[in-house]
Amino acid sequence: MKDKLHRALIDATHNVFELMFNISELSDHPIDNFKYDDEVNIAIGIVGDLEGVVIYRFPTSTSLNMVKIMSGMEFEEVDAFVTSAISEIANIISGNVVTALSNDDIKCDILPPVQCEKHGEKEFEIETSRCIGTAIGDICLDVRLNRAS
Amino acid sequence: MGLRPIMNISGYKIIRERNVSIMLWKDNYELGVPVIDAQHKELFRRVESFLQALRSEVSWDEKIPKINGTLEFMKGYVVEHFRDEEEYQKSINYPGYGFHKQIHDGMVNYVQEVSKQYEQSESNERLMQEFGGRLLAWLINHVAAEDQRIADYAKKKGMSGNEG
Repeated sequence: MKDKLHRALIDATHNVFELMFNISELSDHPIDNFKYDDEVNIAIGIVGDLEGVVIYRFPTSTSLNMVKIMSGMEFEEVDAFVTSAISEIANIISGNVVTALSNDDIKCDILPPVQCEKHGEKEFEIETSRCIGTAIGDICLDVRLNRAS
Repeated sequence: MGLRPIMNISGYKIIRERNVSIMLWKDNYELGVPVIDAQHKELFRRVESFLQALRSEVSWDEKIPKINGTLEFMKGYVVEHFRDEEEYQKSINYPGYGFHKQIHDGMVNYVQEVSKQYEQSESNERLMQEFGGRLLAWLINHVAAEDQRIADYAKKKGMSGNEG
């Protein structure tokens, strides 16, 4: 399960970055190297066969680069526009993950994105944190899920 | 400035492209189906005009008249474009029509809901900035991913308008 989820997340992120940012080279590496002072954290709630949350951690520099590529405009700070655009990206990636999981007969839905702090201390059955490196900056995906009982 | 229908394929209007560069538009969004590409470029022009008004470096009060005008126009154009695109899908018997229409309906509902909240809030800036950011990301993904499937089907069936 953990491997399927991990693969679905990496593939979905890869597809979205290729289609929306024309970036096809992504590297997947452990969380140890992911150290940023400023991040935009977007949580996508998961319900169904799996329940919990996926938190997308976008460093400020990555967030601004993403919005710049999409809009062709310069952005100097993370404001309501940037946060909303980045939230929609997290929503799109998560939607693709849920579609991929449904092909393995794992039925889930996603909840609307919300800006959040880093995840709490609660323990989950499935916990992974991976850093994805791209030409416009890193992002980190924190998965915190339980199998529905 | 009015749009100029120049020909018909399966009853679907093709809009003549104006010779204006669109900052938001990137070549890789082009699907290779002229009828869809022409409408997408027009939609991107409308959204770009809206975003430029939204992000211009003047006070919010000064932006409001331009924002309200472009928002109102864009609301109408989004609905019109989706309707035309759905007609095109029906004309080529696109099998994903039902699912695609659900996505369109979801966006139309969102646009209408935000517009209502915006009016009730008496032109709240944060609401409009959030709308602009989501619209930008949604539109790019929709054109680059969802609409690509229509184009792939049309080309496979030899109905893209590029043939012969």
